[in-house]
Amino acid sequence: MSQSPTTPQARFPAIRLDQVGKRFGDHQVLEGIDLEVAHSEVVCLIGPSGSGKSTLLRCMAFLEHYDQGEIYIEGALIGWEIDDQGRRRRASNRRLRQSRSNLGMVFQQFNLWPHMTALGNVSEALKRVKGLSRLDAERRGRQALERVGLLDKADAHPARLSGGQQQRVAIARALAMEPKIMLFDEPTSALDPELVGEVLAVMKRLASEGMTMVVVTHEMGFAARMADTLVFLDHGRIIARGAPAQVFGEEAPPRVRQFLQDYLERNALLIDANTEAPGAMPSSISAGDGAAAATKGMF
Amino acid sequence: MNFDPSILTTHAGEIGDAFLVTVKTWLLGSALGLIVGLALALLIRSLGRWARLPLLALSELIRGTPFLVICFILYYGGPSIGIDLNAIFAGIVCIGFYSSVYFAEIFRSGFNAVPRGQLEAAECLGLGRWQLLVRIELPQMLVIILPALTNLLTVLCKETAILSIITVPELTAVLGGIGTRTFSFAETLVALCLAYLLLVELTARVGNWLERRVGGYLN
Repeated sequence: MSQSPTTPQARFPAIRLDQVGKRFGDHQVLEGIDLEVAHSEVVCLIGPSGSGKSTLLRCMAFLEHYDQGEIYIEGALIGWEIDDQGRRRRASNRRLRQSRSNLGMVFQQFNLWPHMTALGNVSEALKRVKGLSRLDAERRGRQALERVGLLDKADAHPARLSGGQQQRVAIARALAMEPKIMLFDEPTSALDPELVGEVLAVMKRLASEGMTMVVVTHEMGFAARMADTLVFLDHGRIIARGAPAQVFGEEAPPRVRQFLQDYLERNALLIDANTEAPGAMPSSISAGDGAAAATKGMF
Repeated sequence: MNFDPSILTTHAGEIGDAFLVTVKTWLLGSALGLIVGLALALLIRSLGRWARLPLLALSELIRGTPFLVICFILYYGGPSIGIDLNAIFAGIVCIGFYSSVYFAEIFRSGFNAVPRGQLEAAECLGLGRWQLLVRIELPQMLVIILPALTNLLTVLCKETAILSIITVPELTAVLGGIGTRTFSFAETLVALCLAYLLLVELTARVGNWLERRVGGYLN
């Protein structure tokens, strides 16, 4: 795991989950999740659909209200307050906003505001939340757009942008607020295959700059290359975790092996064994064998 | 049959005043309804499933009552509980009261039309509730609900004619009066129709123009 020079010894992990659980009615979506994310660590949450990985990520931003356990963002419990009797009640909006100010969230559906230009989207919260003047907000907004390579699209409305460009604007919008942690909820799942690469490239650069990232993804190639830690969820529980080489390696539990096998078969038609598109699986990885060797070479 | 439009010019001053009263009760009443309607929609949205029931019931009740009956209740029922309004003011209140529940319904559908994810994104960035409403929800809703708003406005414009029954000196009352006094029914009724047509047509044009203006970003 790489250590960022800017946060040499933080007193607490960027994110800590302690026995987190969540139920929708009778259905236990998450159960007993323990997880720590260190500063500058990149954690990828993977697993079959319905396994609870998106719900888990949304709990970290308190977009879903977890009802068991605790989630600490930069050392502070998010969303809940525990009173003297140990009962939990909703934290004030002000405190929730404070916790969320450490987080940048990127959604599967981009969720840009269609009535604002790209620059408008990126500078809105700088003006309204950080209280910057219009001029300063737009200057910083442009810097954020430049980081995702879209400065020339500053005045375009979302409807005029491709899916990949929209997602990059959404990333810039989150980055502009200078969060310590970025959360990505299937950021490429709504994109045409040829647009996936540009988004992954931006994320890759962020990771290499030392950003703490938690990524829910179906892009196994990206996960294998970029993650410091892979977390595999199934039926609301973590069933495997560790370095990619380990989780995808020979010791992988049968469920993980099966999942990977299915993934590779599904993508066999899309992947040219000789190209190394950012989203593609390293050609030499196959379920259960050779993964360790293949991922070792990547770093 | 003799059709003599000069009857209109000889009463021009009276008709002009009536036209202004119609426009005044219509626009001020609608503005009142718009504001109360938005407040009502926000209130209903913020209340729990059970707490909002009385408001929903009240809204159903008002929508189930003819406008004429509402006017009677507010204008003739008012004095019995100590509220005595002059006719024009009463007319504005009637239009506002009656339209508020329809405006609320339009706003409710508008709120539902803004994708939830956009609000989540705004929340994550730290925008407060009020900022969400003013910066994200209302501007987008406006595009979606403009046709419905324009439609309601044209309906309300014509509903002001009912106010003649509670002695508001608006177009229908005044032109009707001139017609009865001078037996020039044809002239006054044609003028009456043209006046409403003018207002309704104007509203539709402004609505269309606004739709094109505010919806520009969608393509």
